[in-house]
Amino acid sequence: MQDQNISQSSSKVLVVGGGVGGIRTALDLAEAGRDVVLIEKSYSIGGLMTLLDRTFPTNNCDLCTISPHLSESGRDLHIELMTMTQIEKLEGSAGDFTVSLATQPRYIDLEKCTACGDCQRAFPDCVRFTPGLDHRAPTCMRYPQATPYAFSIDMEKCANPEELAKVCRSEAIIINDAPKMKDVKIGAIVLAPGAEVFDPSVLDGYCYGSEPDVVTSLEYERILSASGPTKGELVRPSDGKKPKKIAWIQCVGSRSVKEGCAPYCSSACCMFALKEAMVTRERFSKDNEIETTIFFMDMRTSWKDYELYLQRAKKDYGVRLVRSRPHNIFPDPETDMLAISYTTDASAAAQTEQFDMVVLATGFKVPQEMRDLAGKLGIELNEHSFAKTGSFDPVAASKPGVYVCGLFEAPKDIPETMVQASAAACNAARHVAQHKKAAEDPAELPPERDVTGEDPKIGVFICDCGFDIGGVIDVNRVVEAARFIPNVAASEMVGHGCSRESLERIADVIKEKGLNRVVIGGCSPRTHETLFQDTIRNAGINKYLVEMANLRDQDTWVHRDNPEAATQKAMELIRMAAGSVRLAHPLADNVFPVNKDVLVIGGGVAGMSSALSLADMGFKVYLTEKTGKLGGVAKNIHRNIEGDDVQKFMNDLIDIVQRHPNIEVITGSVVVDHSGIAGMFKTGLQIGPQMYYRAINHGVTIVATGALPNRPDEYLLGKNKAVVTQLDLDGIIETAPDKVKSWNSVAMIQCVGSRSPENPNCSRICCQSTVKNAIRIKTINPDANVYVLYRDMRTPGFLEDYYSKARAMGVIFARYEVDAKPIVEAEGDGIRIKFFDPILGRDVSAFVDCLALSTGLVADEEDTEELGMIFHLPRTTDNYFLEEHVKLRPVDLPIPGFFVAGSAHAPKSIRDSIAQAQAAAGRAQTFLARDAINLGAVVAHVDGNRCAACLICVRACPFGVPFINADGHSQIDADKCHGCGVCAAECPAKAIQLMRFEDDQLCAQIDALLYGALERMA
Amino acid sequence: MENFEPIIVAFCCHYCAYTAADMAGSKRLSYPPNVKIIKAPCSGKIDAIHIMQALQKGADGVYVAGCLEGDCHFKSGNTRAAQRVSYIKKLLEEIGIEGERVEMFTMSAGMGERFAEVATEFTEKIRKMGPNPIKRAAKAAC
Repeated sequence: MQDQNISQSSSKVLVVGGGVGGIRTALDLAEAGRDVVLIEKSYSIGGLMTLLDRTFPTNNCDLCTISPHLSESGRDLHIELMTMTQIEKLEGSAGDFTVSLATQPRYIDLEKCTACGDCQRAFPDCVRFTPGLDHRAPTCMRYPQATPYAFSIDMEKCANPEELAKVCRSEAIIINDAPKMKDVKIGAIVLAPGAEVFDPSVLDGYCYGSEPDVVTSLEYERILSASGPTKGELVRPSDGKKPKKIAWIQCVGSRSVKEGCAPYCSSACCMFALKEAMVTRERFSKDNEIETTIFFMDMRTSWKDYELYLQRAKKDYGVRLVRSRPHNIFPDPETDMLAISYTTDASAAAQTEQFDMVVLATGFKVPQEMRDLAGKLGIELNEHSFAKTGSFDPVAASKPGVYVCGLFEAPKDIPETMVQASAAACNAARHVAQHKKAAEDPAELPPERDVTGEDPKIGVFICDCGFDIGGVIDVNRVVEAARFIPNVAASEMVGHGCSRESLERIADVIKEKGLNRVVIGGCSPRTHETLFQDTIRNAGINKYLVEMANLRDQDTWVHRDNPEAATQKAMELIRMAAGSVRLAHPLADNVFPVNKDVLVIGGGVAGMSSALSLADMGFKVYLTEKTGKLGGVAKNIHRNIEGDDVQKFMNDLIDIVQRHPNIEVITGSVVVDHSGIAGMFKTGLQIGPQMYYRAINHGVTIVATGALPNRPDEYLLGKNKAVVTQLDLDGIIETAPDKVKSWNSVAMIQCVGSRSPENPNCSRICCQSTVKNAIRIKTINPDANVYVLYRDMRTPGFLEDYYSKARAMGVIFARYEVDAKPIVEAEGDGIRIKFFDPILGRDVSAFVDCLALSTGLVADEEDTEELGMIFHLPRTTDNYFLEEHVKLRPVDLPIPGFFVAGSAHAPKSIRDSIAQAQAAAGRAQTFLARDAINLGAVVAHVDGNRCAACLICVRACPFGVPFINADGHSQIDADKCHGCGVCAAECPAKAIQLMRFEDDQLCAQIDALLYGALERMA
Repeated sequence: MENFEPIIVAFCCHYCAYTAADMAGSKRLSYPPNVKIIKAPCSGKIDAIHIMQALQKGADGVYVAGCLEGDCHFKSGNTRAAQRVSYIKKLLEEIGIEGERVEMFTMSAGMGERFAEVATEFTEKIRKMGPNPIKRAAKAAC
């Protein structure tokens, strides 16, 4: 909680960095009604993620999930995108900053550039156009519109700028473009500048740079990528041969005290190495001809379900894992391979093994320019040069009004970046007021003319799109041919159809001729349909009475070598569009008012943090808690690993929440029923010992039900008082330090009740609790022996510092294998523990005064099952709630209007829970910013008279929307329908029609295309 | 069959195949103009009626193009489309029309090359097969 009195004199938020984090923040803020300036130092947005081939744990190219939003951000009027731009200086304070922005010249007028490519073809050396089209490009830039969809000129390489400028028919090239400075008033800043990848050429042992077959993991992604330098062929850079043996070396540049390396853990590398090995086996090794080996120190797969991914890599994909940090790679000229020398626990002697290729899993580093940026902004950095943030305020930088997310905060992977991005948006939004509602108000539009009962009167408008269409086909002939299509009342050519002039012309013709349907022949409806819909709506016609024929992207651009055939095809496409629009009906968008109240379920640290963020923004929050008091598991924790007083923080938080005028705390309450859709939910509670019933109306729901401290029946837990959990031990250390002083020896066992057949996932928080408690014991009682028996020490990011500190303080870390667990027996007042120490290579037997078990958290199966059923929310096999998208939407639940925070999602530390709670609040806020929900018009409609209630649609719908209603026929609620049309295709009685894509409309296109085809043959 | 120019109908889903077709345009990849695209929100929307009607009215080949397996914007629409297409292929064989006149293809939205490749290969395949037998029947009837 950075500051309570928020000043809001400026109306914009500055987002720095156009990677996935910055884009998410900008979109969240824009959706929440804030004006955003998004700056990016490169010439298009996308960041590091767009360089990846595939992403874990889905092994999909999940870019298709975000790229529609990328172009959305380019279109959204409330996001001003400034590429090739950086911060010069910052003045003022939170709520009232003035930032000076410096923009490098692009030499291209973004307004005029149509990305036709003429300039690049004429002068390939000096024109840049990254995404999608060259080998450095994002793998599957699945969407052709890079944002911004325009070229940029490298003027230094251009010998003759005048000649270049002449090539452009749109006159978009500005040869005398110059750097620009601009001052912008802003209320808050979100920094999402990312980080750079470690350059392994500083390490002499790995031959990076001298041996072409030693590559970094990012270079390997490019090799795998279909749009990469090898066009998706997996071959060795040196000789173009397919490799048979590939090795990955982990922690290159991370977890190291070597010169130039970072001591922290880079967090994401274990998972991306596993992914690369799996993808290699899956896509390029159909006959198991490629062997994949990963050399690692600890496998750190601790985020949600990552442990299962590790198991899949080992069992299903046969990825070989070798626990070792190799010292050297050296080329073997005889075999033309790379030899790796390493040692393992099994034998002290160095082994050598040969590989065709070696991938270095390089981590993240903060580049110098970001240190300079921090200096300009006046924010503090930590000892590793990442942005310094608070342990209870995970995305707030040291300067009020400045927030951070993603790699600049700490090394992390994409889901955690997405969480922080939404959390940063939530915090930044508090500094700026919501902008005035856009002029979408129906009252400002002319009345819609009722065209029902009128004969169709179609107007056909054909763009020549500069030369892009008119340069290939004979537009006049297409215009003339269109006059003979039935019901066409007007047909004309309109230059650039999307120019203001042309749009006005179209509107005039509609009014003059009394048209009631429109066909546009031009570019793709994917990019321009909304523009033409708005145009005809402004001319008084329902917006669904326009159809576009894609004459450019799907005709003139692809049939330039055959103008006559392209002209014929254009005529057919126009005929098809006219056939379809002739049958189109005026449709109303499905619009519903939004209830702005919030229901938060769960009164732990996550639930309270979400409630507080939203309440501070003025939303009414109902905070329900099953037990009699607020606090959850965190109420029992005394210190975090940073040493902060958790009790004080929790007491303050509870106090603020309870006294907040916008929060109503309802303790002793359970959810019993639920109905409605996002924006108008109704949830029933039973409250208190009397179990009286109360219904809450609300617009969104945040699920923050947490998890339970696990207490498995293992190692005498609950049977011997010397055996405790790490949570118990935290309390003993805080409240009874004298007892700790009296101990001679303490042992800790990791992964008790986690990473086991019964509970296969990692509990994530236990390694850090262990390190925290070990350090505290050593601080109080330096002479005590502390043994930590572990399987993998998972201290990602800067937690690695504490792990190193514990080792330095003399804590003994000994690894055990899962099939040779430590043996524990009661002995006197303490415990006898026996284990094998792989470093000493022998069995150890020790008497300890206290045995602390790292038992982690488990989901409350009963509770989550109940809530899952009531809310229709899916859960993972281990009973945590399953999010909408594991990579890109980690706080959205699959039911619109539901969000998840804290350990209800997966085990989390307090800091991570707060970040996710703020993210959930941020995502909720985007929904609550609107007054109404417009669900569009493409929904399935059931004709009850034809429906036989056969249940086929009920089974076919991918989203489970149709149900048989009280009238005995299928009902598909417009507010839930996603508009795919699967039900319409499956319905045997054809009782279901998908609006805008009705069967007769599709058939009309077929008829129009094939008109006379049979006769022509005859 | 001299100068036989097959008529190909391509039903394309909005999220992947239609976008891939636009991508082919952006990259100026040429493919035969015989291919005419009809857009649907999802390949799972394309019904047997539409495919059969196209053949009945004189299309020489029809294909449905959806998202890659596992990547369907609507979760499973593409697998339903694939099932439907294989059902129609059998049905066509039963009535004496080559099942290969109907195909299902999948591609991601970025695969402009694949769109052009599929359009070219399918058109050439149909060209070699000759006109839709329904047309021959219609001619014989005259």
